[in-house]
Amino acid sequence: MLKRIPSERWNFTTAAHLLNRGGFGGTPDEIEQLRALGAEGAVAKLLDYEMTPDNTPDPDWAKPDPTRAERLQQARNADPQKRREMLQEEQRTQRQRLLELKHWWLMRMAHGPRPLQEKMTLFWHGHFATSMEKVRDGYLMWKQNDLFRRHATGSWLKLLIAVAQDPAMLVWLDQAQSRREHPNENFAREVMELFTLGEGHYTEKDVTEAARALTGWSFDRVSQQFVERPRIHDDGDKTFLGRTGDLDGYDVLQEIVSQPQAARFIAAKLWVYFAGEQPSDELVTGLADVFRSSKNEFKPLLRAMFESEEFYSDTVIRNQVKSPVQWLVGSVRVLERELPPPLVCFSVTRNLGQDLFAPPNVKGWDGGLSWITTNNLLARYNDAALLVEGDASVVRAMAMGFGNGRAGAGPQAQNRLQNLRLRTVDVSQILTAEDRSDRTKLLAALEKRLLQARLTPKQEDTLKTFLDGQDNLDDKTILETIRLMMSTPEYQLT
Amino acid sequence: MTDPSLKTRREFLRTTMLGGALSWTVPAFLANTFSALQAAAADSATQLVTGKDATILVVLQMAGGNDGLNTVVPFSNDHYHRARPNLGLAPNDVLKLNGDIGLHGSLAGFKDLHDAGHLAIIQGAGYPNPNRSHFRSTEIWQTASDADHFEKYGWLGRYFDNACAGSDPTVGVNIGRQMPQAFAAKHPVGVSLDNPESYRFISGDRNRQGGESESESLYRKLNDPAEGMMSEQGGDANSRGSIGAISGATPRGGSALDFLERTAMDAQVSSDKIRAISRKVQNQATYPQGQLATSLKLVARLIGGGLPTRVYYVSQGGYDTHTNQANTQQRLLQELGDSVKAFTEDLKAQGNMGRVVLMTFSEFGRRVAENANQGTDHGAAAPMFVIGDKVRAGLLGRYPSLAPGDLVNGDIQYNVDFRSVYAGLLEGWLRTPSAPVLGRQFAPVMVV
Repeated sequence: MLKRIPSERWNFTTAAHLLNRGGFGGTPDEIEQLRALGAEGAVAKLLDYEMTPDNTPDPDWAKPDPTRAERLQQARNADPQKRREMLQEEQRTQRQRLLELKHWWLMRMAHGPRPLQEKMTLFWHGHFATSMEKVRDGYLMWKQNDLFRRHATGSWLKLLIAVAQDPAMLVWLDQAQSRREHPNENFAREVMELFTLGEGHYTEKDVTEAARALTGWSFDRVSQQFVERPRIHDDGDKTFLGRTGDLDGYDVLQEIVSQPQAARFIAAKLWVYFAGEQPSDELVTGLADVFRSSKNEFKPLLRAMFESEEFYSDTVIRNQVKSPVQWLVGSVRVLERELPPPLVCFSVTRNLGQDLFAPPNVKGWDGGLSWITTNNLLARYNDAALLVEGDASVVRAMAMGFGNGRAGAGPQAQNRLQNLRLRTVDVSQILTAEDRSDRTKLLAALEKRLLQARLTPKQEDTLKTFLDGQDNLDDKTILETIRLMMSTPEYQLT
Repeated sequence: MTDPSLKTRREFLRTTMLGGALSWTVPAFLANTFSALQAAAADSATQLVTGKDATILVVLQMAGGNDGLNTVVPFSNDHYHRARPNLGLAPNDVLKLNGDIGLHGSLAGFKDLHDAGHLAIIQGAGYPNPNRSHFRSTEIWQTASDADHFEKYGWLGRYFDNACAGSDPTVGVNIGRQMPQAFAAKHPVGVSLDNPESYRFISGDRNRQGGESESESLYRKLNDPAEGMMSEQGGDANSRGSIGAISGATPRGGSALDFLERTAMDAQVSSDKIRAISRKVQNQATYPQGQLATSLKLVARLIGGGLPTRVYYVSQGGYDTHTNQANTQQRLLQELGDSVKAFTEDLKAQGNMGRVVLMTFSEFGRRVAENANQGTDHGAAAPMFVIGDKVRAGLLGRYPSLAPGDLVNGDIQYNVDFRSVYAGLLEGWLRTPSAPVLGRQFAPVMVV
């Protein structure tokens, strides 16, 4: 059984921790509001998000395009010259949509009303890691993203069924091409190995039998929808995880979810995602018990996690490396600036190693310490200058490396980046006149806002000495201080 | 428990802290030396200390799927000419290696290297159940996985994990913006840069003092490991050693901050070092124009400047020739041959030719039969080139059969598993057992 966090431990630090991990962080005022609600109230505010209306409009192209299949067919039949033009046009369209989609999602994370729902959507994207590189249809990628959002904290089984029938997934893991004569084992294997059970909890025979059972779950290119095709379904007997019969996809997923290991697997992965450390065996058992006793629904599990004492232990708080998305969105939130334009967001997240809708492979992003290399640590420091000071030299350096990569942008985009200027952070928005009157108060206010913790005494001395050398605490000096504070190992943690 | 190299590194940190100036020649390279001393043969000890004789592998990716048949051309083969009525190269179009096989006419650079005994050609490299997706097949080559298995880490990343623990982050250097998946590792190391001047802390140019802005010197102070270390006095002196060992979640009881501080120092040191070298060392050969040549020029300078790198990674794109292949491939191969030739001349002038081996690969070759658009579609096996002073020069293996009955889905079948080539380079050149890196033992193609 998980212990609850004692009420006397609920304070600004723990409230900030909840908002950082359960969402993408926030301003001192937002943290203060959560603190005032008490632990239970604060968790409920994040988790029971259905009460908060979300009226974010979908991208205007986020609907089936019945002419797409026909267009592609026409292109295939056209003469070489025409064909190339048509396919290039299609690529341009998809590239543009993908760029918009990335930004649309980052906007939801940065400024939307339901941070936890977006945080869970991001979890599912990393878990069921599907890439545009193979799917090549922005609408399908949006549709999958929408699915993750709708099922973000619901039932494990319903989510698995929705994912198995999701067009992007059907394409991504080749399920769409699986027929009774040649069952494709790709999805059948990964659904157990990576999505639900982990290696060692099923046999090779289970993989081939599951692949047979899943035949017939397919994808219709014209309607861009899931379709069940009885004619290619293998209706013979199969034995899967000990159950025998003419099993189909529903049976397979049901059997998987009924395994105790399925609860342990996903509970442990969620703990790593939110708490940032490997859970003990005992903790996994506690979490899995909560999950199973609440019919494999995620919301009660998350509530237990966020209300647990373990979640607020010293080894957890401020001991997780921010993911690139967390870094960007969190920075935008604490700096109270608008999200940069789509191309800049794309460039920043990609260069830091987390290009949304293009995870490195079906295993998703490794995360944790692996986010940090010498390379992208320097890139984080330089991107800080971009967000804070709109530093044009950083934009130019970014633009130089642009356009090499199939998911990347072309030369026009490069030019646009070259000429781009970002607004700086509005210092008067995030700091009171009093904070700006005194270097000690200034540093304390910035530490509270950016880190919710202190730098080391020597780092503080370094910044104090810098501020002493300035004639006055003008905006430029303050912006420079913010950038420097973000250019530390400490700022990379949450 | 404690990795000796990391202990050494800690001691280095102390010396640096007390001794003042951050000398870029010492840190992890020394640490690497000590760990390598224990692991490797005794005769390499002095070599490692100076770094002058450690072997270097340059991996060159020909992205997009290069048409192997028109690169190493079976010009006397009737099946070839029947399958390629438009794109087939006549005997007079090729640079003959023997009576049947020749190099594409624009590969004069490679022909010279071949004649000088510096070019090995591995014919028909591929893998079982070839995948025709660029994305997936590239992944297979980069992770050295089986076609039906997903491997998280890259083969070079696993080499770093297995053979280079505790070494300088510049043990692997990728020229480009995106770290190739081949470098993905449990303990990520490696540096990606397309321009030495952008692999650094960039600041506006306010308050310039003697070349370094005030902002930059403040960044150095804020990221000085001495600052972090002061605060950990009395702590477990070995706690840092274990941190880098686990990716993903922070190990329980471990501190992500320690790891970040260490990486921040690595970043500073390697950034300074790379820029210093690139400003100091000049190229000593005339390179052609183009991105690949620019990349190789940088690699040559970094080698000449003594960066402790074991693996460099460069790439050249554009080989996805579905339409009008002849012109495109002609241009790309010309660039390839001329750039690599110039690179070897540069290395010779430096006296480093004997230390460097370059290997090319492409995610797949192309279909035997040309398509209706004067191009070729995604195929399977293709040749690999290995270039160096002491390679087993010439054609290795045999040319895959082009007889229609021997094709699988219109593709030639591979003769050599590419992982055998990797194994040969790991064992024969980087001198490390290949099985821990490649997951199992592949019969090594001893090309060096």
